[in-house]
Amino acid sequence: MRVLVSWLRDFVAVTASPEELAERLGLRGFEVASVEPAPDGVRPPWAQMAAGLDGVIDFEVTANRPDCLSVLGFAREVSTLYNLPLRLVTPVTAARVPNVEVSLPVVAVTIEDAERCPRYAAAMTAVTATTSPRWMVARLEAAGVRAISPFVDITNYVLMELGHPMHAFDFAKLSGGRIRVRRATPGETMTTLDGVKRELDTEMLVIADADRAQAVAGVMGGGSSEVSAATRVVVFESAYFQPASVRRTSKRLQLKTEASSRFERGVDIHAPVVALERALELTELIGAGRRGAVVDRYPSPRSPRTIVLRGARIGLILGLTIPDADVERILGSLGLALTRRADGWNVEVPAFRVDLLREIDLIEEVGRHHGFERLEPTFPPMSMAAAPADPRISRDRAIRTTLAAAGLTEAVTFGFIQSATARRFLRADDATQLVTIANPLTALFDVLRPSIVPGLLDVLAHNRRHGRRDVAIFEIGARFTIAHGERRAVGLAWTGAASTEHWSGSGREVDFFDVKGAIERLCDMLRVPVHWTPTAAPYLTAGESAAIMAGDSVIGIAGLMVPKIVDEHGAPKQDDVFVAELDLEALEAARASGVARETMGGADETVRPLPRFPFVVRDLSIVVSEALSADTIRGTIQTAAEGAPAPLASIAFFDRYKGKGVAEDCVSLSVRLTFQSAERTLTDVDVQQSFDRVRAALVQTHGAVQR
Amino acid sequence: MSLPDQAAVQTQIASFETELTHARTARDAQAVRDRYLGRKNSVVASWMQLISSAALEDKKALGQRANELKQSIEARWAAYQASADQHARPSGAIDVTLPGRAPTLGRRHPLTLVRDRMEGIFTRMGFAIVEGPEIEDEWHCFDALNMPAEHPARDMQDTLYLATPVLGESRRADDKRTMLRTHTSSIQVRYMQAHQPPVRIVAPGRVYRRDDLDLTHTPMFTQMEGLAVGDGISLADLKGTLTAFAREMFSPSALVRFRPSFFPYTEPSAEVDISCWQCEGAGCAMCKRTGWIEIGGCGMVHPAVFEAVGYDAERYTGFAFGIGIERVAILRHQVQDIRLFFENDLRFLEQFPY
Repeated sequence: MRVLVSWLRDFVAVTASPEELAERLGLRGFEVASVEPAPDGVRPPWAQMAAGLDGVIDFEVTANRPDCLSVLGFAREVSTLYNLPLRLVTPVTAARVPNVEVSLPVVAVTIEDAERCPRYAAAMTAVTATTSPRWMVARLEAAGVRAISPFVDITNYVLMELGHPMHAFDFAKLSGGRIRVRRATPGETMTTLDGVKRELDTEMLVIADADRAQAVAGVMGGGSSEVSAATRVVVFESAYFQPASVRRTSKRLQLKTEASSRFERGVDIHAPVVALERALELTELIGAGRRGAVVDRYPSPRSPRTIVLRGARIGLILGLTIPDADVERILGSLGLALTRRADGWNVEVPAFRVDLLREIDLIEEVGRHHGFERLEPTFPPMSMAAAPADPRISRDRAIRTTLAAAGLTEAVTFGFIQSATARRFLRADDATQLVTIANPLTALFDVLRPSIVPGLLDVLAHNRRHGRRDVAIFEIGARFTIAHGERRAVGLAWTGAASTEHWSGSGREVDFFDVKGAIERLCDMLRVPVHWTPTAAPYLTAGESAAIMAGDSVIGIAGLMVPKIVDEHGAPKQDDVFVAELDLEALEAARASGVARETMGGADETVRPLPRFPFVVRDLSIVVSEALSADTIRGTIQTAAEGAPAPLASIAFFDRYKGKGVAEDCVSLSVRLTFQSAERTLTDVDVQQSFDRVRAALVQTHGAVQR
Repeated sequence: MSLPDQAAVQTQIASFETELTHARTARDAQAVRDRYLGRKNSVVASWMQLISSAALEDKKALGQRANELKQSIEARWAAYQASADQHARPSGAIDVTLPGRAPTLGRRHPLTLVRDRMEGIFTRMGFAIVEGPEIEDEWHCFDALNMPAEHPARDMQDTLYLATPVLGESRRADDKRTMLRTHTSSIQVRYMQAHQPPVRIVAPGRVYRRDDLDLTHTPMFTQMEGLAVGDGISLADLKGTLTAFAREMFSPSALVRFRPSFFPYTEPSAEVDISCWQCEGAGCAMCKRTGWIEIGGCGMVHPAVFEAVGYDAERYTGFAFGIGIERVAILRHQVQDIRLFFENDLRFLEQFPY
């Protein structure tokens, strides 16, 4: 709302500069976008010369204050702020005696939908001139409105001054000399002032003549009854339309106007006649015409709202003591009527304050004008200890530090991606599993991500394009599918070197086992034992992809990206990009289900006593078929060692060799076996017996040959 | 052979030291030591032998000299050995200025670092940290927050709705539309439904708006909203809480200013400004010459919100605030373009500490 300071002074004798007004009103709830000099010629004939510096302040008015979409609304705020009287009657009004032209015809007004239009007023005016005076044009310009013709200018002037939208019809174009406020008929159309033919529906309110719609009520007038140079008699419309109805119509027609935005927030139900009188007064003042009769249809007058305001409640909410006299002055000055009662006041709220609905709204007004700057900071007393934080917070923190310590950098990417990309990251290419956004801003963000990985690939590609060879990144966030809803996951993507290049030796490129190691470390930190099985996924290279299992449930996936998809994300397709993703909720479920308890010796964090007897280490080197998995060999060893005299405490694969001296489809494996008993010191004989059983089992089950 | 006199002691010590100096290896040095201190045929051993064959009147003096020689050489040998251990490697054997072999260290995202810091500050003020779902229903996101069906923020223009309703945490059966939450206030609603006052929580998380990407807007960003509900909590308490936050986060001398504003879920409502810590209020580029920097919105919880979650709006009062984590990160780190946080360029991310 652009407010011309000299226009404001028509209502309140404030002498402060525009800059000062801007700053002080800024602290009363009206954010200032700019302060500009006033255009030339804004001074009307009645204005006093020595009123002070002029200027235009552009205020941002919050949605709850439609009354301040007007000069009068700001004048009321200024009068409260500076404790100055508000002149509701402008200098020009005081000087006028109405002189009604009785020869003019009178429009016949009927309200056919009193719910959507509780009040409709109209006034007749005979046209006598066709130009607006310089001061009116300049004031409108200051307010950001272009002058068009005297009658349009007058409605705009009243709109800016009092905040009430009006409309002007050419009376001759209203068939039957009638105005019917009714709902549109099925299939009814109308061409609005902007030249667009509108299709109306039966929920929309229109202003019609005897034959057809001439305006969309509260939104925009029609072209066929527009005031023109040929117009002899003008009908001013000044009405109150139901906010919800105007909002709906404006939204349906995708047509937002100065009028609709005010009506939909709520205007003053008393304003129609006041605005009409002001328009007639201006018509005569600028010599644009002579006034005729005023028609006012207001079938069910509303009674004002009364709210109880308790003095004690003000202090309680604000944490500040405000003297009763100040409460009365502030609210009185804002136009509220106060009557004392034992615990405070009965407050009658004027109809233009549509935002004041209950006690708290009045407390806000008192606090706002008393000044929030007078609040002394205090600290709320604590009556009990803080609740523990959501356990996900500390878990996610631990994941972040663990992965960062493993050399991966955290990324944050958007929760939505492109559907064409997203489909590829579903286990089965079933697009019905994607969570689609109904109203995406762009097709690039039309579905919620089913996986963290695609976003990470974009980040990886961005960094590859900017000269980074080695990229290791992760993200924790939500992912979404129709079947599982919203699930939190951690994803990682890794390409290039496995570790930072160092002068002491050549580096190594990242491979599957770096990613596996990072995930294993993570799961170890979270105390969930996992195992890995080969799997297939559309976006992973067959043979280098694995499901991450906790017990019997799949909690994640890891592997080498398919080069074509890497290429589509914009990274070089020759890059080996390894990715992994863990479903943190599945992991949490596995942890809760006792998988952890069985294998980790107690999730209850009880420590085990240190071993009292020494351990014995034996290495075993065997040649086996290459197709045999490490998990299978481990299983064979474990089974063989069960019940053996020397208990097997751990199995470690410490070497794997293929090549010279080993048959083509075979591999040489070295396994370190550690034996330890909790009850006694093991003898060589015990250890040898256990070792022999393991070796025999490997030979027997897998045809292993000891090296 | 004449008996060694006092001068001979000094001569032997000097020649021991000379020979030791010339020893190139530990083995050479050991040989020198053995020549002087060995059990047989060494200098000290031969002096000891002389004592037995010397005349009675000479024995005492000779013994003293032999002992002196032995002790002096032993002391010098011990000193030599200590020094030799220390000099086992030639000086400059390695170039200590070459880069070290550090394990590769990743970084946490700046938004995480700022969020952690904020969580720390509020935790110490007794706030619990609470999370919630990103997919929300209209009731938790809007209705419960005094934003009726026709509220402009519920418009398709600002909110990203889902084409089909998706499972959320305790989604209300009568809610047909689900959306990406536009603020984390929905977490506060969920928390209040499940807990009776006193309540003191902060709810961090990602939120979504139907905004284009530009210097200052992104369709996804991160918020931290706070809520305190109890007996007699006031707007002055809110000012004190935010002042404590500002002083720890930005500057020990920071002041907080409330500018009245409007939010449907708070009344009174205010924008929160912090006195500019770069110019101390004098006016600089960071505060756009106003002396103040806006960091969020706040207010007293609207009684309609309490009524929606089943709290006694007469008995309890409370405050709420919302701070953009990107906003805090931008201010702390002087980031010029909000998109940097989501582009994840490693050259940007690696400027932040682990």
